[in-house]
Amino acid sequence: MDSKGSSQKAGSRLLLLLVVSNLLLCQGVVSTPVCPNGPGNCQVSLRDLFDRAVMVSHYIHDLSSEMFNEFDKRYAQGKGFITMALNSCHTSSLPTPEDKEQAQQTHHEVLMSLILGLLRSWNDPLYHLVTEVRGMKGAPDAILSRAIEIEEENKRLLEGMEMIFGQVIPGAKETEPYPVWSGLPSLQTKDEDARYSAFYNLLHCLRRDSSKIDTYLKLLNCRIIYNNNC
Amino acid sequence: GTENPASEVETGQSPPEKPKLVKCRSPGKETFTCWWEPGADGGLPTNYTLTYHKEGETLIHECPDYKTGGPNSCYFSKKHTSIWKMYVITVNAINQMGISSSDPLYVDVTYIVEPEPPANLTLELKHPEDRKPYLWIKWSPPTMTDVKSGWFIIQYEIRLKPEKATDWETHFTPKQTQLKIFNLYPGQKYLVQIRCKPDHGYWSEWSPESSIQIPNDFPVKDTSMWIFVAILSAVICLIMVWAVALKGYSMVTCILPPVPGPKIKGFDVHLLEKGKSEELLRALESQDFPPTSDCEDLLMEFIEVDDCEDQQLMPRPSKEHTEQGVKPMHLDLDSDSGRGSCDSPSLLSEKCDEPQAHPSKFHTPEGPEKLENPETNLTCLQAPQSTSGEGKIPYFLANGPKSSTWPFPQPPSLYSPRYSYHNIADVCELALGMAGTTATSLDQTDQHALKASKTIETGREGKATKQRESEGCSSKPDQDTVWPRPQDKTPLISAKPLEYVEIHKVSQDGVLALFPKQNEKFGAPEASKEYSKVSRVTDSNILVLVPDPQAQNLTLLEEPAKKAPPALP
Repeated sequence: MDSKGSSQKAGSRLLLLLVVSNLLLCQGVVSTPVCPNGPGNCQVSLRDLFDRAVMVSHYIHDLSSEMFNEFDKRYAQGKGFITMALNSCHTSSLPTPEDKEQAQQTHHEVLMSLILGLLRSWNDPLYHLVTEVRGMKGAPDAILSRAIEIEEENKRLLEGMEMIFGQVIPGAKETEPYPVWSGLPSLQTKDEDARYSAFYNLLHCLRRDSSKIDTYLKLLNCRIIYNNNC
Repeated sequence: GTENPASEVETGQSPPEKPKLVKCRSPGKETFTCWWEPGADGGLPTNYTLTYHKEGETLIHECPDYKTGGPNSCYFSKKHTSIWKMYVITVNAINQMGISSSDPLYVDVTYIVEPEPPANLTLELKHPEDRKPYLWIKWSPPTMTDVKSGWFIIQYEIRLKPEKATDWETHFTPKQTQLKIFNLYPGQKYLVQIRCKPDHGYWSEWSPESSIQIPNDFPVKDTSMWIFVAILSAVICLIMVWAVALKGYSMVTCILPPVPGPKIKGFDVHLLEKGKSEELLRALESQDFPPTSDCEDLLMEFIEVDDCEDQQLMPRPSKEHTEQGVKPMHLDLDSDSGRGSCDSPSLLSEKCDEPQAHPSKFHTPEGPEKLENPETNLTCLQAPQSTSGEGKIPYFLANGPKSSTWPFPQPPSLYSPRYSYHNIADVCELALGMAGTTATSLDQTDQHALKASKTIETGREGKATKQRESEGCSSKPDQDTVWPRPQDKTPLISAKPLEYVEIHKVSQDGVLALFPKQNEKFGAPEASKEYSKVSRVTDSNILVLVPDPQAQNLTLLEEPAKKAPPALP
């Protein structure tokens, strides 16, 4: 029947019109290319690597701050542990820039190797931190869970940083020495105050070094990816 | 010189009280300021100094700037600010009597970041063509924050509300320095505030309120979009109407299936409408009506009861039309006693108020007044109000007493059954006529389903159905007397006997085969036993019927008279 056929045609045209109008109205969709370097060379882009690294470093610093505040609230009130924490970080031998000008004048290679050194040097202490916090009297879950999380995220960030390093500085040697932590005996000492003081120091240094890593990465991100125009 | 403690007491002067460091804040992670609270000054002019030393250094420094930060403050410029290093800061209060130092404050600039509120907050109402109108809020990062290089990472929070409202509407934006607000109420004055926060640190204070007045004629909606939506919905409606029109009926039947009406095989409504009753009946007949001999389960045996002593008003149910009623019945084909013609079914049907325009073979005699009493309480073939699954058996309900005009045999005690039925047509008519009157008096469960009466089953009572039914009945004028059988149960009328007989079947020549109704008590009805032949009448006015030899087996059934209508004439 002719009328039927024409009505069906009109219906399909209307459907097409609806679909097209939908597509036009949805203008806010942004698609990110998976393989920006071409179909045969599918690598994660540097921008994505930096985005991810910045997210992880931000997260680690948040966790470290919370963990420190928890410990301070529960175990360090009125003890004056802070006085003992000065100059106690094992990574203080690394020549890290201490203000914005210094950081901006540091070459990104140096910055990246500093970041890598910091990350590597914290592998061991984080592992022991988890072990020793578990054995702490009345180990609060807030501290233990964060310690476990930080240890895991630190490894992840290290992997990402090594990838970034490989892309930004191809062929660079990655065998820079990193500071070794030797604070395990003080974490295991019988003297409770001494032990808590050691924990305090470790958490204090962790908070600081995670802040350094986070700041340097964000600086590098804006410098390399956004060309100093964040 | 040395202080004499005695002079302290005398003059009421003392060294100052220990000051207290309140807080230190860095607006951009590049500088920081510390504030303190002075204690009591001890009655003497007191100077305050701030001294500090850094982590890893032994050198003690004094505050480089006491002014920039306001009173009781110390401002550390870029030169003096290091990140990730602990500052040990002390404030000293000095007066002539002594020095008091505050407790040291350990400060790491990394953790004391609190920016200023964002700057340059601007509000602008925008109304672009073909798009929704909005409020465009713009601002700049706070002073002293280096966002471009990535040293300072910042997030913003904007809140706005109509002036009179109590709740704020908040929006959170990471990084960008503008915001578009839609869905504003026209005619309202909106207040807008903004604050910001570093990636790790404290929220700033709220900026001072900015306000903007939304004009009354501010269009809330984008009209062109709604026009598009309206046109689209109209088009969709048109298409749906079109589809419904094309396939309307099938869709409607799909959604609302028609209520199935009673279907009668061979029943053609159109023939009925045209009034071609004969053709209609023939069409019905062609199906399998009247019920053939293999429908015996439907019909029951019947008996004839005859009382010919009162031969008052039995007009012959033939084409003769007489004013006087009494005419003996005539059975042409039947081989019964022949006396069964006493009670003419036509008479009975007359009492049933049959319609005048009755195309049946017999005419309604006007008859003597005895016939004119329509209050005979006679219920003919019951127009079944409901078809039951029980044996579809028509019942003849005859109620005698008042039927003074009815040609009953005089002594009521003789026998109860009264009526003879001429033929099915009369029977049907009778039933129809009675249906309206004493329908309620019938035992509903005993409704029949003679196929002829199915024509009544459409639920319409009254004359039309009567007409149709009589047509549906056999059209032969053959006579057969059918006597209703006395009935045990009389549900309503105790004084009046109600007799039931069950039509077993209707033979081809219009002979009614009746079953006794009491087969419920006797059990399963005896199959294929038609009682259509009157063998004799006993002394106690009992009609003895025998099965029709033409039919099947022959048995003898004796029917005692149950009740006698008292008022029988």
